Amino acid sequence: MTEPIVYIDLGVGGMTCDDCVVHVTEALESVPGVESAAVDLATRSAVVTARPDVGASALAAAVRATGQYNAFERRRRAASGE
Amino acid sequence: MSDHVDFLILGSGSTAFAAAIRAADLGARVAMAERRTLGGTCANRGCLPSKNLIEAARIVREAAHPRYDGLIAGTVGVEFAALIAQKDDVVREYRAKKYASVADGLADLELLEGDATFVDPHTVRVGDRMVTGDRILVATGSRPTIPAIPGLADIPYLTSDLLDADEAGRLTELPASLAVLGGGYIAVELAQMFSRLGSRVTIVARSGLLSGYEPDLGRTLAEVFTDEGIEVLAGSRVDHVRGDASGVEVAIEQAGARRVVSAERLLVATGRTPNTDTLGLERAGVAVDADGFVTVNAQLRTSLPHVWAAGDVIGRQHRSQTATPVGARQGRIVADNAFADAGKAFDGTVIPRAIFTDPPIAVVGETEAEVRARHYPAVAATTPLMYVPRAGAVHKPTGLVKFIVSTVDERVLGVHVIGESAPEIIHEAAMAMHFKAGLPDFIDLIHVYPTMSEALKIGAQAFSRDVTKLSCCAE
Repeated sequence: MTEPIVYIDLGVGGMTCDDCVVHVTEALESVPGVESAAVDLATRSAVVTARPDVGASALAAAVRATGQYNAFERRRRAASGE
Repeated sequence: MSDHVDFLILGSGSTAFAAAIRAADLGARVAMAERRTLGGTCANRGCLPSKNLIEAARIVREAAHPRYDGLIAGTVGVEFAALIAQKDDVVREYRAKKYASVADGLADLELLEGDATFVDPHTVRVGDRMVTGDRILVATGSRPTIPAIPGLADIPYLTSDLLDADEAGRLTELPASLAVLGGGYIAVELAQMFSRLGSRVTIVARSGLLSGYEPDLGRTLAEVFTDEGIEVLAGSRVDHVRGDASGVEVAIEQAGARRVVSAERLLVATGRTPNTDTLGLERAGVAVDADGFVTVNAQLRTSLPHVWAAGDVIGRQHRSQTATPVGARQGRIVADNAFADAGKAFDGTVIPRAIFTDPPIAVVGETEAEVRARHYPAVAATTPLMYVPRAGAVHKPTGLVKFIVSTVDERVLGVHVIGESAPEIIHEAAMAMHFKAGLPDFIDLIHVYPTMSEALKIGAQAFSRDVTKLSCCAE
């Protein structure tokens, strides 16, 4: 039986180039419990795949800790619910 | 666009734009709803157009009254319609530069036109569209208060909306005479402006001019107004008004006597009312106070955690003031709190404020009465500007500066100025208060000689020296 996961949709501010996407992705994936993060420059958003115990505040804090970018939660979706 | 956004802003003035720009920086998709002209009161029918016309009126006045022996009085004629047309150009250009093009430059900002009404806590009907917002900012500003005076609803009257470039309430003909109801900052600015442009002006004020400010300011201004030929009827109660498009009559009672003020037009300038009555805030569950101002905490959150309010709609809560830059600051704070969990509180301790009469007025911090009311130990000193070298040199001696200072630590609690350049020099006092400076800091700082800013250095010395006996440069 696989561990349950959730998708967390984030708005991301401050990205101007592909390097920014890399930095934000790394910040998100550094949070314990995050499996992967798909960051999109054009829509200024990210979808994080994570264990259910990962909070949006931890994700936002990791992105803000870069000193250059901001993130905030839009939606939290159960993987099986879609 | 989708009908769902991260941040739905009601209003499009300085508060709304500051919030939108910051929220967009933080990654939010933003929609802004406006029922009138983009840019709000300040740009369209407030600070900006009034300052344009007030300066023109000053030119007219100074030509006729040049202040200097040896300068011969002349006449600058007024073509009112052309004067208004250039003001309209200034307004439209400013609106295009500072609002419309800024809006265009924000990737994820959509402007929505129409009346906004809450349907539920997250849904707002804008015109015929339903828009939902995860977070919502109420920044719908304020409008002129229309007092309950018998007869007022039945006659034509002006408000400060007369300054607008594109709306129906705009004024394009100079009235031969004008009765002004009110003695606040809008009333006095417009009264003097019309008087200088050629209207015969009568001010009908419930108390004196500028009640709530240091009494010396309104008193000095009333003397200047009287000298300029503006009739100031202080302590007047309006019984009723009547009239039509050709003229109005204001029946008042003053010091027990009844009289009637006749004028071609009536200007109602008796305060500002928050634009919250048509928003359906009660359907969302957003609390307002008895006067209709949206109730907020220091972080500008309303009674609903995802709804914020800022600018004129919060009135004087948390020492806020009805002023363009105050709203702009608050708008930015809201965006930071809503999208970056910044937890910032609005601090209204140091808000410089100006009234663009001539002489102009500028204030920052508390009045002496406010300090006394909270029983804080303080002293006050008032210095006439005639002791400021520049004031004498350029024949503008009218005015004064008043300091209110803590006797605990000499910190400056309030500075109040009426006189030449007051709106510029007040920033020195505001910066000093921002850094919690004391009275000696004003005295120790070398000031440029001869400037009106020396009024602060001299006014600060009035607590310890006889300022009538200072030599050059106030040392």
